[in-house]
Amino acid sequence: MEGVLGEIAKLGASLAAILFLAWMARRLDLGGDIRIRDEAHARALADEVMCGFDPIDIAIDKAGIGALLRDAQGRQMVIRRHGAHFTGRILDGSTQSRLDQNFLTVGTSDSRFGKVTLNLGDKAQIWAAGLRRISA
Amino acid sequence: MIVKLPNPVDYAVPIFVLMILIEMIWARRNAPEKYEPRDTLTSLGFGLGSTVAGALTAGLVASMFYWGYQYRLIEIGWAWWAWIACFIIDDLAYYVFHRSAHRVRWFWASHVNHHSSQHYNLSTALRQSWTSFIALGFIFRLPLVFIGFHPAMVFFCGAINLIYQFWIHTEAIKRFPAWFEYVMNTPSHHRVHHATNPRYLDSNYAGTFIIWDRMFGTFAAENDEEQIRYGIVRQLGTFNLLYSVFHEWIAIAKDVWSAPWRYKLGYLWRPPGWSHDGSRDTSDSIKARWNERQQKAVTPAE
Repeated sequence: MEGVLGEIAKLGASLAAILFLAWMARRLDLGGDIRIRDEAHARALADEVMCGFDPIDIAIDKAGIGALLRDAQGRQMVIRRHGAHFTGRILDGSTQSRLDQNFLTVGTSDSRFGKVTLNLGDKAQIWAAGLRRISA
Repeated sequence: MIVKLPNPVDYAVPIFVLMILIEMIWARRNAPEKYEPRDTLTSLGFGLGSTVAGALTAGLVASMFYWGYQYRLIEIGWAWWAWIACFIIDDLAYYVFHRSAHRVRWFWASHVNHHSSQHYNLSTALRQSWTSFIALGFIFRLPLVFIGFHPAMVFFCGAINLIYQFWIHTEAIKRFPAWFEYVMNTPSHHRVHHATNPRYLDSNYAGTFIIWDRMFGTFAAENDEEQIRYGIVRQLGTFNLLYSVFHEWIAIAKDVWSAPWRYKLGYLWRPPGWSHDGSRDTSDSIKARWNERQQKAVTPAE
């Protein structure tokens, strides 16, 4: 019985330490407001998502929070922020998209990846048409 | 004979917390993006869950080790040199486990948890698996009790090894003197291990002594000219703790379910990323593609 109580006490102390550290990470304002700077940056991020992905067409969100890219083989990729980093997915037949003037919302077949809404300016319509071709 | 030794990890936890705090303050001053509060919370949630899972299965693992100890080859006992020998052989066993954990998908399904953060800081060290018992990670240490090391000694040395590996999960330390970097696993060597840059994939599996990687051809030195990217080849893109814990097991179940009968087992024992139709990337295929590109870059087109 004493051993079990000891284990529960340790668990409680660990939980308290976790909450304290998580609170400290927020309190110290850790993280970062990262943005896609330019096409070269988007290109480098695409290569991180898929080694060898060489885009010929790039559309970066006006605020730099994400991007859409297409390579010579017609493959399309979406990149979005994830915390203080970026992550992305190659778009496939299950891709969902919704166009609202200059804003294009993209959802991938990976539900955990979530949706991203990109302000692509006057390029939004062209990319929406491209995405519809993948899903067709 | 059952021997009860103290668990060194219990004593190390307060030091872990203090070191994370110090590293957070360092990050605040030098590079706030090295930490991300949601990522830190997920990592620490991994650590807590792993402790609970370990406590629930510890009895079973200990029973198996004591059973194996009955069939030991030699009587090693508790001499001072036995502790040193046990630690070194346990570290070799860790190397074998760790290499397998990256090359066999069943083991990877558990170990991937430790790699699933895009950050590399001391909180990442605590991102430990909840499912290592299911993944059978303990079998790699069993040979030590068959040799004749007492199970309590093996568990104690394993815990010291785990504690050693905590502090090397940092970007705050650049390099140590050459002799130390040659023998010991260091932050520099382990950054390489956590990297997703193609040149670094499947390297530096060491726990405490980097010499195993040097001996078995898996060593890669950190290249200061290339920025390291951390995480896994297909980043999770979520901070959801439960999904982060079980995502690879879910993926295995889906693959085994949908694969033709003769390929089902391949999704369990082949390398992560393997697929029967070759439609996915493994670390080998990524490295091959990267090497090909590097060669093209240095060989001018004719």
